[in-house]
This record gives sequence, structure tokens and C-alpha cells, in this order.
Amino acid sequence: MNEYKSLPNEDSKCIDLTSCDSGSDTNCNGSFGEIYIPESKKHFAVINPSKMCQPMGAVQALLGIDGAMPLIHGSQGCSTYLRFQMCRHFREPVNISSTSMSESTVVYGGEENLLKALETIWREYKPKLIGVTSSCLTETIGDDMNLIIRKFRSEHSDEELPLIIPISTPSYSGSHVDGYDKTIKSLLENMALQNQANDKINIVPGNISPADVREIKEILELMECSSIILTDNSESLDAPHTGSVSFLPPAGTKINEIIDSANSKASISLCKHANSGAKFLEKRFDVKSISGPLPVGLKNTDKFISAICQIKNCELPEKLEKDRGRLIDTIIDAHPYNYQRKVAIYGDPDVVSGLAGFTAELGMMPAVVCTGAESIRFLDDMKEVAKESGSKPAVMQGCDLYDLQNYIKDNPVDLLIGNSYGARIANEENIPLFRVGFPIYDRMGAQRNPIVGYSAGIRLVDTLANMILEKYYDASGGEIE
Amino acid sequence: MKNSSKKFNGFESLKSSDKESLELKSIKLPQNDDLIITEVPDSIIKTLESRIGHMCVKKDESDEVGPTCNMASVPGAVTQRSCVYGGARVVLMPITDAIHLVHGPIGCASCTWDIRGSRSSGEDLYKKGFSTNLQEKDIVFGGEKKLFDTIIELNGIYNPAAIFVYSTCVVGLIGDDLKSVCRETGKITKCRIIHVQSEGFRSFNKSLGHQLACDAMLDQLIGTGKPGLDEKSAVSTKKNIPTLNIVGEFNVAGDLWAIQPLIEKMDITVQSTITGDSCVEQIANAHRADLNIVQCQKSSNYLARQMEQKYSIPHLKVNFFGIEDTAKSLLLIADFFQDQHPEIREIVDKIIETEINKVRSEISHYKTRLTGKRVAVYVGGNKAWSLIRAFEELGMKVIMTGTQNGLPEDYRRIMGTVSEGTLVVDDANSMELAKLIKKYHPDLIVSGAKEKYMAHKLGIPFCDFNHDRISSFASFQGFINFAKEVDRAVSSPVWKLTSKYYQGIVKNE
Repeated sequence: MNEYKSLPNEDSKCIDLTSCDSGSDTNCNGSFGEIYIPESKKHFAVINPSKMCQPMGAVQALLGIDGAMPLIHGSQGCSTYLRFQMCRHFREPVNISSTSMSESTVVYGGEENLLKALETIWREYKPKLIGVTSSCLTETIGDDMNLIIRKFRSEHSDEELPLIIPISTPSYSGSHVDGYDKTIKSLLENMALQNQANDKINIVPGNISPADVREIKEILELMECSSIILTDNSESLDAPHTGSVSFLPPAGTKINEIIDSANSKASISLCKHANSGAKFLEKRFDVKSISGPLPVGLKNTDKFISAICQIKNCELPEKLEKDRGRLIDTIIDAHPYNYQRKVAIYGDPDVVSGLAGFTAELGMMPAVVCTGAESIRFLDDMKEVAKESGSKPAVMQGCDLYDLQNYIKDNPVDLLIGNSYGARIANEENIPLFRVGFPIYDRMGAQRNPIVGYSAGIRLVDTLANMILEKYYDASGGEIE
Repeated sequence: MKNSSKKFNGFESLKSSDKESLELKSIKLPQNDDLIITEVPDSIIKTLESRIGHMCVKKDESDEVGPTCNMASVPGAVTQRSCVYGGARVVLMPITDAIHLVHGPIGCASCTWDIRGSRSSGEDLYKKGFSTNLQEKDIVFGGEKKLFDTIIELNGIYNPAAIFVYSTCVVGLIGDDLKSVCRETGKITKCRIIHVQSEGFRSFNKSLGHQLACDAMLDQLIGTGKPGLDEKSAVSTKKNIPTLNIVGEFNVAGDLWAIQPLIEKMDITVQSTITGDSCVEQIANAHRADLNIVQCQKSSNYLARQMEQKYSIPHLKVNFFGIEDTAKSLLLIADFFQDQHPEIREIVDKIIETEINKVRSEISHYKTRLTGKRVAVYVGGNKAWSLIRAFEELGMKVIMTGTQNGLPEDYRRIMGTVSEGTLVVDDANSMELAKLIKKYHPDLIVSGAKEKYMAHKLGIPFCDFNHDRISSFASFQGFINFAKEVDRAVSSPVWKLTSKYYQGIVKNE
């Protein structure tokens, strides 16, 4: 047990877990901590994008709040297309309202539409919170959402209004990853209040599957660690069938919990790219902030769990210890099939770097990784993975699936990991695709299959190894050359 | 067979002078009184005052006035509507050998690429998502330079037959001159660079987008085909073979491939398809056809009317969903060519006889299970009326129909097709839909992906008639598929698992 506690790092003062050298036991041949940045064959066009716009991330964060309604201040298409994408991924009804901007309201400003929209939502849907996200349209015409919301509040000063949180998310900067991050930060900036210290840990999951959030909650429960999940989409975006339908998330993070987050012992942002909210709490209320890595695979999960052990000053529960042992057992069982298999991984930066670290643990080679978001942090994370695994991955940030496919054409890989948009690459290049990320619309279970934690890791190893067996071994068990 | 041939006697009296105004008239099937909503509630469901007029019940045969429509959605309501860009894109996107470049921030492209189930028999360039990915500095200093460079770059990579450039909200605001960038790059690349002025906010109704897409084709593509290059029309002219364009058929799930062979069996050459499974050059030569037949009248009537004015090509409104409507449509086409090609009629009669017998026998076992079931239809296009008859052929009854963006003419069409007691709704938001479902308990909901899971959560079978559809529903063979899909949704035993919840409550009422 003690051995475990000291596993990830000895330096308990360390904040950013990945910045600490955990003493890699994979002695590397060749380049140490090096990455290779391939050059894109094009300079202007984006072909087959691997990122979405800020409102997408914002809406996903808001839908994890109990009784919250997202409102996109922009054209109807913004909310309708986001709903379409989310419905087909989560296979759940998703409601996002729109201020329905049209030509005349664009010319004269969106104040009237936004006021009307707030009124309609308040009266018809009775939410506890309205998250108002801007769009490229309303940012450009310069609508002052803060001012308009203040006006709405003063018009109804004698009535009980829902909380209204403005979030600036123009789609011409950043990506859905930033949209999520900004939303969490806006919520905390507007709501967090310090009073009585609680014994909780804040968890900012980032843009991950409801199944992953549920997995994290189960781990925390096993560790008897009370927490505030910012935000918790595990019920709203993977809801049980009850015969009824709700227009607002029927469960999720409570308003009071968001307010109370300033009193927690620490915050852990599972995704480094979603840590602005936690950083804010640290700066403003002195709540210690820990960022990533996403607990995918053995070492990354170790880091997450030991961070909790340190904060709570507790030991690893027996159940988790056994899960951890089983994960190692699974990795050993599968290692002959996985060894030196080249993988290409694409998607959101933290998911990609997390999975890259995991595949390296399995003995695979993360040969090329790609994210649509532009991120220096991603490069640093991949350097860390390269250092720990002794591989030299090609790292693409701010790139698209066209770039990825071009690279794969010249440098073939054995396995592809990413969302459904890669199905065409998989088909054309004849590589099996393991689907993870967003959106997944051509297979079942995107909202139900976790990847974080030890026990999800076990299933992940089995699935990947089975895909390899299916593709690269014949019926009699021989390896196909 | 006797039965069915009797039904078509009425068509023999069609005169060619009626051609211009030919519309499919509905055949009234025997009505089951039990299935009709007898009570006409004052207020159909509780909703916002401004929304009440958007729902109505057809009272009697003479009731032609549909619900209030073509109005801006109430801001804040969860509207099922889309934007003008979305409207333009759905019409043009099936053109297979073109690049569809979205000039705007990344979201407009990344949420809409490869989402329409339009299938292609050749090229797959249209399936890729292209964007200029506008950034803050482009918004400040203008995006024309980036658009210019992007077009040149994409032309270099793919050498496409055309590049359609779509304008988005923010591009309209900053005033990028799409037209001149397209003209300039067109000169340099010698490729057709076609601008589509589809700023999302231009209208609350995406029908404007359909029209803008049609305008782009009319002004910049149709009529530009060089005669020497067009083999089809050369051969047809030489041999005096009649030609037509199939307009407003987007080959979702391969629908076109069920329609086109029928036309070809009639010894008619399909000059071009607009735009399902089409090539740019084909559409450029569309003006050489003798006739336009319009399947999706919601999006493409405008194009047919304009072509009639510009090139004197008459058009017929057809409907290839449902057995009887398919048969009627074929007869209409035969009748159009009656004077010069009387032999077509004979072929059509034969097709109808064989196909109808085949279909009727194949659907009979589905029909036993489906007869008496009640259907609610809520869709974006012409399906609001074209499906009604198809369901009746399965013995089912449409108790509610509606669209997100119907125009008065669409609702007149709907009111003329539905039977008394049918509820007709316009631009219903998700809460209203849930309340309607709860109130009327249909046995099946037909709609798009956004409504699918709401229906499922309420324990009600759902049939997708939209982008995500995987089996072809058009023409005779398609009707068998349709019956199969409907049966798969309605008769599955999974709904027994939910029955104890069947009186489900709608929260937040």
C-alpha cells in the first residue's frame, strides 16, 4: 500500500502531476522525450475538421447542471446543429434554446431577442439556471450580454429569477475545448462563494463521456471522498428510461454545489485544457488546483488516485487495489499482441495524450497523434509521453483529418483511435478503428462505455487486443504477415 | 389486381391540356371513425399565447385554412428549425464531384459535414468537410484573402468539377465580397467557383436557403454546359428519345436509384438529377431536358418554375413515396409524352400492373400488424403531405402532421391531403411536441434525429424519415422497405418493456 502511495511522485508539493518525473522505468532507446512535428501539406483550408466551435463545448458543460437551460445567442442553426450532433452521439433528447436572430435583429442589435428569450425560457421551462452563450454573430455585432442580462434582472427585480450566466464563446476563436473551459470558469466566477470549509474535492471532468464521469464518481465513492463534479453529465446525457421526458437536465451538479466549490479542499481538473475554473478558485479562494492528466490507463489513473490519497490522507481501497492488479494482469495477458503496434490517435487534446500514454504502457507505439485544437500544452504533454515511453511520436496540433490521413498514407499504422469521422480513413487505409471521443454516431454505446480508471482500462485493453487479433491473426491463431 | 386497375381508370381521362396544372389528387380511402380525434379542443395544448394559432384541427372537407405559419420562432423556445445556410446546404450538398466550402468559423462546417445520407454511385468529394476556419484576425481584417487562398489551394489538391462557396452569418456581417472572390478565382483556376449567399440569419425560415441554393444553380450552373460534351442529350436528340430532369430528389438512402430505373424502363433518358447522385456537368446541361419532374416540392418547386420561365421546360409535381402516388406519378409522365411517344403509356401500365401486385403481396403481412395504428408526422419538408397516403396504404392513420418551416402553400397542400380530425401544427417546439405526443398517444412518430430520442424516452416507436435513414423508401421497392421499417419500429417487443410507463408524464408542465 505504501508502495502505491509513493508510486506517481514523491514530491507532495507538486501541483501539475505530469510535470513531475515519475521515474520512468521504460528505459528508452533512441530519442528521449522527443516529438516530431510533421509539416502539413496545405496552408489555408481545413479539410475534415477535427474540432468543433466554442458553443458546442459550452453547451456540453451546461447540460451537466441540474435544471440548467443553455441558450445560444445567435442564429437558429447554431442550436439546431449542436442538438443534432449531440442527439446522435448521446442518443438522448437534447434541448438547447436559441434567441433566433434574423436579419432585422442583426441590424438593430439582439437586445430585444435576448430579453424575450430569457423571458420565454424562464416562464415556459422554469430552469434553475440559464447559461447564455454568445456566437460569432452576436459577438461581431457587439451585443453586451452582461448589460442586457442586468436589464432583464432589473425589469423583474421583484420576482424570483433563475441564475443567468453569460459566457463569451465566439466560434472564430479556440474550439469546443475552450468553450467548455470558459463555461466552467464563468460559472465559478459568477457563483462560487467562500464561507465554511467543506471536506470535498472539486472535480472538473472536461469534455468526456457521461460514462467516464460515472466511473470517476464510483471511484470517489469507493475512496469515501465526497466531491463536487463541475459539471456532472452522467445522468442527463445517459439517462435511464422512465417513460417520461424532461426538458432540463433532471439531475447533475446542483446550483448549491457550484456555489460551495470555493470551500473545497482542492480541485482536480481531469483535463488540463479544462483547468481555468480550478485555477480561478485557486487564485481567488486558495483552493489548491491539480490539473490532469486524464486518468486513462495505469499510470495516469495512479496519478489521479494518489492525488486524492494525498489530499484526503487516505489509503487505496482494496477494491481499487484489486482492479489495479487486474489491469496489470490484463496488460500482461495482451502484451504479445500489442507489442510495437503502431497507433494513430486523434480527438480532444487531453483524451489523445491520455490514450497515447496508455497505449505506450501496453507496449504499443503511439506513432502519430492529432488534435484539431491549437495547443502548446498538448505538445508538452506529448513530450512527456514520449519521454516515458521512449517513442518518438509525430504530433499534430491545430490539424485536421486530412493532415492525419496524409501522414498515415506515408507512415502506415496498425490501429486508429478516435471518433466516427475517422471511419472513412479506417476504410480507405484498411486499418481497424477503435471509436472514442465525440461524435460517435455509427456505433452504439458512446455514452455508456468509459475509458477512465482501472476497470474501464481492463475493458479497453481487451477490446484493443481483440481488434488486433481480429485483424492481424488468422483463424488458427497465426499472425498474418 | 382488379381492384387496383380500377383505381387508375380515373387517370385515363387526363388531358394533356391539364399538364401545366397537373397535381396529384388524393384518393380517399375508407375511414375508420374510431381513429379520428373527434373532440376538437379549444386550445389543443397549453402553450404560449402567440403559439396557439400555429395548431389547428381539420374540421371538415371544406376546411382549407391551415395553421398560422411562416413566422419567426419565439426567441427562447427550443425551435426545431435550422438556419438559411443549413437550407442551402441540404439542397446542394448531394452534388458529388464538387467541393462544398463553408466560408466561416469552423463550427458551421464541423457540425454539418457528411450528415446527409445522400448516396453517390461515383465520386465522394461531397462527403468531405471544407472550411476556411475564420479566426479573430480574419473577422477584423476581412476574410476575402483567406477565401481566395483556400479556393486556389483546394483546386490544386482536388481539381474538382466545381467549388460551391457558402456564406455564413459572420461573413455577411463583415461584408466579404464572395461574388468577386469567386469570379477572380474562377478565372485563375478555370473551375466553376459558385457563390451561395446563405448567411444563416437572413431568414427564420430555411426555405430561403433552399431558394438561394436554387438561385446559385440557376444563375451560375444550369445552362453553362457545352453541347458537344453532353453525350446524353446528343444521343437523345438524335434518336428522338424524350428526356427529363428529376428535380428535388436527393438520393437519401438511395431513393433515386429506385426511381431512375423506372423512368429508364419507360424509354425516357434522365438528363440530370437535381441534385441526388449528380455531377456538376450533368446539372450544367439540365436545360436541355424536355421535362422537369419535381419530387421535393418544398425545396425545388422554385427551381422548376424558374426553369420553366427561362428555358420553357414544363414541370410536373410527382411523389414517389407510396404505391398509388408512384403509379400516379408514372402515369402523369406518360401522359405528358402521350402525343409524341404514345408507346410510353403501354410500358407504364405494364410496370404498374406487375409492381403493384408484387408490392401488395409483399406488404400484406406487415399490413396485418400495422392496420389501425395511429401516426404523428413532424418533418421539415414535403413529407408532411407526401407520407400521408403512404401510411394509409398500410392501413395506418395519420392523426397529426406538421412541419418546422411550412409556407401557406404547403399547409394548403397538407389540409387538402389530410382527413378530417387531423391535427396540423407549425413550428412546434420540443415541449409542445412532447405535450402533443402525451395527449394523443400516437403509435408511431415520424420525424428527424432531434425528435427520435424524445419519442423513445416516452416509450413511443419512432421512424426516421430524414438524414439518418438507411433504407430507400422511394418507388415500389421502396414501399416494401418502408413497410418493413415501420413494422420494425412499431411491432418490436421492446415497447412492451416500457408499457407500465406508458402513461408517462411530461415534466415541467
